[in-house]
Formats: sequence, structure tokens, C-alpha cells
Amino acid sequence: MRNRHLLKNDLIAYSFLLPNFLGFLIFTLVPIGFSFVLALMEWDGANEIKFVGWDNFLALPGDETFRISLVNTLYYVVGVVPLTLVCSLGLAVLLNGKLRGRNVFRSILFFPYVASLVAVAVIWNMIFHPTMGPVNFLLYSLGVQKLPGWSASVDWAMPTVILASIWKGTGYFMIIYLAALQGVPKYLYEAAEIDGANAWKKFRKITVPMLTPATFFVVMMLTINSFKVFDLIYVMTGGGPGRATNVLVYAIYNAAFIQFQFGYSSAIAIVLFVIVLAVTLVQFRMERKWVSYV
Amino acid sequence: MGQLRLNRRPGAILGKTLVYLFLILVAAGMILPFLWMVSASLKLEKDVFRYPFEWWPKVPIWKNYTEIWTKVPFLTFTFNTAKLTLIITVLQLFTSSFAAYAFAKLDFRGKNLLFLGYVSTIAIPWQVYMVPQFIMMRHLGLSDTHLALILLQAFSAFGVFLMRQFYVSVPDELVQAARVDGMNEYGIWAKIMVPLSKPPMATLTIFTFVFVWNDFMGPLIYINTQDLKTIQLGLRMFISQYSAEYALIMAASLVSLIPVFVVFFSLQRFFVEGVASTGIKN
Amino acid sequence: MKTFRPIPGALVLALVFSLVTAGTTAAADKTVLKMVVWDAANTAYLQPLIQAYQEKHPQVSVSIIDIPPNEYQDKLSIMLSGGEDADIISVKDIPGYAGMVNRKQLEPLMPLIKRDKVNLDAYSGVTNDITVNNELFALPFRSDIWILYYNKDLFDKAGVAYPTNDLTWDQYATMAQKVSSGFGTDRVYGSHYHTWRSTVELPTVQDGKHPIITTDYGFMKPYYDMVVKMQNDKTVMDFASLKVGNIHYSGVFYNNQVAMLPMGSWFISTVIAKHKTGEATMNWGIVKYPHPVGVKAGTTAGTITSMAVNKASKQKDAAWDFVKFFCGPEGAKILASVGNLPAIRDKDVMKILADRPGFPTDANSREALNTTTVRLELPMHEKVGIIERILNEEHELIMTGSVTVDQGLAEMTRRVKEALGQK
Repeated sequence: MRNRHLLKNDLIAYSFLLPNFLGFLIFTLVPIGFSFVLALMEWDGANEIKFVGWDNFLALPGDETFRISLVNTLYYVVGVVPLTLVCSLGLAVLLNGKLRGRNVFRSILFFPYVASLVAVAVIWNMIFHPTMGPVNFLLYSLGVQKLPGWSASVDWAMPTVILASIWKGTGYFMIIYLAALQGVPKYLYEAAEIDGANAWKKFRKITVPMLTPATFFVVMMLTINSFKVFDLIYVMTGGGPGRATNVLVYAIYNAAFIQFQFGYSSAIAIVLFVIVLAVTLVQFRMERKWVSYV
Repeated sequence: MGQLRLNRRPGAILGKTLVYLFLILVAAGMILPFLWMVSASLKLEKDVFRYPFEWWPKVPIWKNYTEIWTKVPFLTFTFNTAKLTLIITVLQLFTSSFAAYAFAKLDFRGKNLLFLGYVSTIAIPWQVYMVPQFIMMRHLGLSDTHLALILLQAFSAFGVFLMRQFYVSVPDELVQAARVDGMNEYGIWAKIMVPLSKPPMATLTIFTFVFVWNDFMGPLIYINTQDLKTIQLGLRMFISQYSAEYALIMAASLVSLIPVFVVFFSLQRFFVEGVASTGIKN
Repeated sequence: MKTFRPIPGALVLALVFSLVTAGTTAAADKTVLKMVVWDAANTAYLQPLIQAYQEKHPQVSVSIIDIPPNEYQDKLSIMLSGGEDADIISVKDIPGYAGMVNRKQLEPLMPLIKRDKVNLDAYSGVTNDITVNNELFALPFRSDIWILYYNKDLFDKAGVAYPTNDLTWDQYATMAQKVSSGFGTDRVYGSHYHTWRSTVELPTVQDGKHPIITTDYGFMKPYYDMVVKMQNDKTVMDFASLKVGNIHYSGVFYNNQVAMLPMGSWFISTVIAKHKTGEATMNWGIVKYPHPVGVKAGTTAGTITSMAVNKASKQKDAAWDFVKFFCGPEGAKILASVGNLPAIRDKDVMKILADRPGFPTDANSREALNTTTVRLELPMHEKVGIIERILNEEHELIMTGSVTVDQGLAEMTRRVKEALGQK
């Protein structure tokens, strides 16, 4: 009796999943599956596919450009994720209250996300221009002797790109938080105020816990997007100078479209996938512990 | 804090002013690309990147804005982009919220594994599977069609993930109460979840809209016929082998951003407190 | 209570609509040749050539697939992977050519060339550079060479004699320094090096002693030293500023900021066009590319653009006929009439080029396009794609001052050796 009931529930659940899952399965999952299998093969995109076992993976540690791009990507992720999270949450909270011109502020903050990447890169490069930009001008007048070369310097290119990314992404994640904040019941704040809580305490004890599902999403998407970064870097530095901002997706793209080694390219992608999967698992476990259901 | 409650104490006025100042500073920084785009769109090509930089050109070249419509079939491209964006957004909203409900409020075998699988596929850059995907679509006879793009983008794991997170914060009691009242799951979805999910729906609409509207790689790979091309492909027509006409590109980009902002503004009302009330007073 | 529900009817209608408007091909009663090109809108010779061919062959019509130039090779590769059967493929550059040849996607043309007795000598030896194992997979139709552009007004102002058709690189460097003047944003720079590595590296292969794909890059030292010195002396704008500021060589030339500009012949048409619209007003001229001591004047570097037949094409004979026309003497004349340098450069063609309205009228400029030897910028090689990437990356490091010239060249040597040693 109980089993039949469970089966019915399962079927109902699957029926909800079906429209999305079917399309997803056929048009996305199948090609992804094929690409994963490709990691064990050698294929130039045109001729026969040869089975090579683990060769692609074994070649990875010896590939200098792969090692460099992996390190760069980790550097980028660690820089972008926490800072964007803090900025977007902070701004969402500020712009959720009764503030004059709130809608205008929100739209302006949203703008870098939709702006042409070229425009974003140009503006950023202008501000951080090594000889003619306001930032270095400011640093110079403060007495700094060795001015950073920003996106034209091997040491500063990555920080420059990280900053641009934070600037660009904050508006996007702010929207998520704004939407999530609508679901935080007002009576909780009212009750806290009666108990004498100040703004910071309300934030810590009510807002942050209530936003855990949104935070899980934001951290996940930030992490994933950071590992997948390509376009912004391509427009800002082209992966350079040299290989200073060469990231994993560059390596994947290179392998597939310059060297025509699709198997190798898939192997790199699997490394990326495994890393992100690990982060996802950790996050997921933590979510089940943290997420508060009212 | 979910809301800034600032009263009229002197310390509070200082606080409020600081907040405004901070926001204005941040906004000023964020609006710079927009200002540059406007400035560039009114210049001659040779002056777009010229130093010293002129924010407002001495002689604004307004005809850039008429040239974009005549130089490339921009109207056709806009129509195509609008069509694709609308269809994909609607399909995404529907299928994502449907699936998200199951992940958030129903219990079934394989739920966690399936959800994990969904989310982790987002991690895979499209560069990895875009060739096998294209080959498959071509075998299905869908190369050089709008349908291909629709099928590829209407069923995303991202939408499911986003909606699921919001649905998770809808109190279980509401759902349980409805079940006790005899409502079936489909009814619960339609009559309870959907009305409560205006903010996330609005969010997903904005994201999907912007994504499809600005999508370049999808149309690049799948569309060959000129009449089917989209705005982003149209913008590329201002880039020739040895140079690019950034003035025209910026003018066209700004024009194409108007619908995006219209959508964003009109959905703002869903981000206002109180629309989605979830309080259960005991 | 309002519910947010997509209207099923509209949905279905939308789907049906999109299916109906999906691209369809018209029924063909004549032969339709599909040609893949880039940047069709800005390619002045494309339509005239197609029309000329269609007039001669009324039963053939040519339709084009237009791809954005920066994404050309990527999209083309994907199309070909998917089994694209377009008949004629434009070959944009050597890495693209090498890739398609390696993947066996182009039809071998030697048998057809021999059968139809096509004269390869007309191409001044360029076809040798793209022959692989005695087989040719494309015919060149356009060949751009590197020349030196200069701003007559700026030379007049500085009281320096114009460049001649027989300049050595040392003379060029001295001249550039002499003609530079001014400070800050008003500075006039003697010359200009666009951010492509070719601007610095091409002189290194002019003497023909070292190919650009090799196992020791020390031979590039004198030329890198020369350009780095010019950067430090502010005779040319620095690489970092150009890259960060996205500065294009055309702008600085039109704005009278640089007196000389080593650049490809494709730029001629653009300068002429900008003069017509009034955006550029300076008096300008061209001379032959400077040369190393001991190398004949008129030796320069060049690129070729070619046309190939898709191996998967179902109309190879018809496609070949079109390719022959496009790349042959008649096609060359049409190319020349719109200001492009064809691969076939006989006297007639050269006269058409020099007689174009807007082309500089001085004798030196008319002579500038005559070459003795043209060395391909990037030779055909199996691994040319990877190696070009390595050279680009190290070039950036040298030019931004992140490494010294010696360090950069050593890295180039090490990495290219490694890439060549691999499978």
C-alpha cells in the first residue's frame, strides 16, 4: 500500500520535471555526455575518433599552459567570489529600504551587466591606464614611486580583471538578493526591534539566515561563472600580457580550435567540472544544514 | 536588516547622508560605461579612442544613429532577436518553475542526485560541448534555424536552480495546508507557488531576456542566412577584417539596450516589499 | 487572485511560426554555388566578381554565407565538422589553411590545375609557399604586401626629406627619430608599431635566412632591440598604451600623430576612402618596405587570401570553375579596380591600381607596389596555429617591458622547441 503511494508521488514529481528535463536531456545532456566520452579519445573534429584511454589526462600535468591557466583561474575565483558576494548583498540591503531614487540607483547598478563588454573594458582600461589614468595619477600624487602597469603588467593584470569582474557582476547578483529580500517576513524584524535589536544585529540574526537559499545560489553561480570566465578577459587583456590572465576556458578553446584536439579539450573541461562539482557538493551539504525554513 | 529604518535623530541624518553619498559614488562608477558608449556613438571613428579623451564631442555626429539602420538590416535583426527572446523567456519561465516545484516541495526518488546533476552541468563551459551539439542539431536538420536556438536555450538547468532556491523559502506549511484541503500538486503549483514567485519570475525573466537578447555565440554558430540573424550578429557587421567601427557599434548597442531597460524597469515593481507576503501570523 | 500563466495558445502559435520561418532553400533549376566569405558588406570586390562570373555563366548563380571576420575560422571549423557542404571556401589565413588541410577538408587542386593547364607562375611563386607535399589546396586571389606609409605634411613641417623606395632599416630608424617632435598629447611620433607581432617580426624574415617557425629566435634580436629603443626614446607610441587604449593604427595616422606607418597594402583603400569623406585630410604617400642591408629593395613580407573547394561539396567541377575565374587574370583586374592587391600582379593590374583616383600621384608611390620578393608572413606548417600563439604571447611580454628582449626570445625558443618536439 505504502509503496504504491510512493510510486504515485514519484510519478507526479517526475511529471513536473519532464518538460524541462526532456529538452535539457536531448539538447544539452547528450552533447555533454558525448564530450565527456571524448576525453578518452583523440578527435580533430573532422576525421575518425581514436580511443586513447587516459593519455589526455596524463598529458595535463606536463602542459605548462594548462598549469598556468589552472592557477590563474583559481586566483580569479578566490578574488571574485567573496568580494562580489559582499558587495551585492550590501547594495541589495541598502537599496531595499525606503530610499529616494531607489529605482534609479538599482537601474544604474544593473547597467554594467548589460553594457557592451567592449565598453566595460574600455572604461576600466581608461581608469586604470598606466600612464594617463586617474588611478595612477592619484597614486602618483600620493607619492607612490613604482606605479602598477595594471592590465599591461604581468603582476597587475589579474587584479585588474578581478576588479572589473566584481564591478560588472555586482548588479546581477544584487537583483537576486533584492528578490530574495522580498521573502523575508516583516514581522521578524518587528519582533526583533521590540526586543531591542539594532540594525547590525537584525542583519546578522534575521537577514543573513533567511537569505541562505539565495546565498547558496549566489555562491554557486559566482563560483561556476568564475571558473567559466572567458569573454571579459578576452576583451580586456586577450589572456595576456603573455599568459598572465590565461584561464582554463582559454586552454579549452585553444585545444579545440587552434590545435584541433577535441579529446584533450574535453579532458581539461573534466578537470574544471570535477573541481566545481567538489565545491558544489560542499556547498550543498552546508545548505542542508543552514537553510532555514520558516 | 531587510529595510533601512532611519528616523530623524541627528546621528541618523548623518548616516542617511553617508549612505546616499556612497550610493551616488558607486552609481557614478557604474554608469561610466554607459556614458562612454554615448560619447563614442557620437564621434567619428578616428576620435573614439583618441587621447586626450573628450567626453562630449565638439561636433556630435548624430548621423551615426541613422547610419546603423541603413548600413545593416538592423530592423530585421531586431525583430528576430525579439522573437527569439520572447519565445525562449516564456518557455524557460514555464518549464523551470514547473521543475523547480518538484525539487523544492516534493519528495521523490533520486531527488538530490538529480538536482546535483542539474546544477553541476552549469559548470561546463559551452566551448566544450558546442561542437558535438552542433553536429547533432545539424543531423536533426535544425542548422540555420531559429528553432535550433529555441530548443537549445529554453530548457536550462540555470532556471531550475534559480526557481528552486526561491521555492525552498516558501513555507512548507502553506503547501501542507493546501494538500490537506485536497488540492492536487498541479493546483498547488498554479494557485500557490506561482503567485508567490513573482520576484523570482521577474528575476528569471530579466536574466533570460538579457542573455538571449545579447547572445552572440548561439546565433553565430547556428545561423547562416542573413534574414535570420540577430542584433549581436548585426553588430559584428561593423567589424571588418582590419578595423572596427566602434562609433556605429556603440550607437547600435545603445539602441538595442532600450528594450532591455524597458523590461527591467517594468519588472521593478516585483522587487518592492510587500508584493509577496509570506508572513503567517499565529 | 491573479495567476501568472503563460497562454498556451500563443505559445503554440509562436512555435509554429518559428518553424515556418525556419530557413528554406528555394528549388534550384540552375546550379547554385554556395560560397563562404567573411565581411561581405565591406568587401568591395565580392559582388562585382560574382556578377561578372554570372554574366558569363548564366546557368550558375552564387549565393554567399557571410561570417564575421574575427570569428571566421572558428565558425567555419564548426560548420565543416558538422558536414557543411558549401562549395567554395575562402581561406583567410595560413593557420586556417593549415588546419583545414590537416583535417583533410579541402579538395586537392593539383589534378585540376594540370588538367586545365592553369599557369601557376602568374602568382609570383606564392603558390609554392602553400604547397604541401606537392599538393595544392587553394588558389590565391589576393595578396597584400607590407609597405611604408608616410605623412607628407609632417615631414614638411620637420624639414626632413621624404622616405624613398630604397631605405634600410637603420636609415628608417634615424629618419623616424628626426621627424619626431613635441610633448605629451601634442607629440608627433616618427613611426608607429601596431600591436600585432608581425609589425616587429616581419623585418626579421626579409633576408630569407630564417623562417619564422624555427628552433632559435636569436636572429630577431636586432629588430626587437630597434623597436624597444624607439619605444623608450618615444619615437613610437608604447605598446602598453596602444593595447590598453585599444588604439588603432588608422586613427593615429588620420590624426597626424604619426609620420610613418609600416602597414599592409590593404590600408590604401581605407585611406583613400577616408579622404573622400573628409575624415582624413593629410597629404600622404607610400614607399616600399624598408629592407635590411644587403637585401634588395622591393623585398617585403605579405599575406595571401585564397579560395578553396570544399571536399564535401557536391558540385566540385562547377566550384572549381568559379575558383579559377576568381583567382585568375580577369578576377585580378576586378580586384585591382576596387583597390585591392590581387595575387596576379602583371603590368595591367599595376597600372589600374596606380591610376585609381585618390592614390598618391608622386612617382615613388606609383613604384612602391612593385616587389621583387614577397615572403609569406606566416608559412604553411602543421603546427602553425600553436606556434603563432606562442610568438604572440612572448611578443606581448617583450613589448610591455615585462621581460627583456633576450629573455623573451629565449622563452620563444624554448616554447616553440617544445611545441615542435611534441606529437
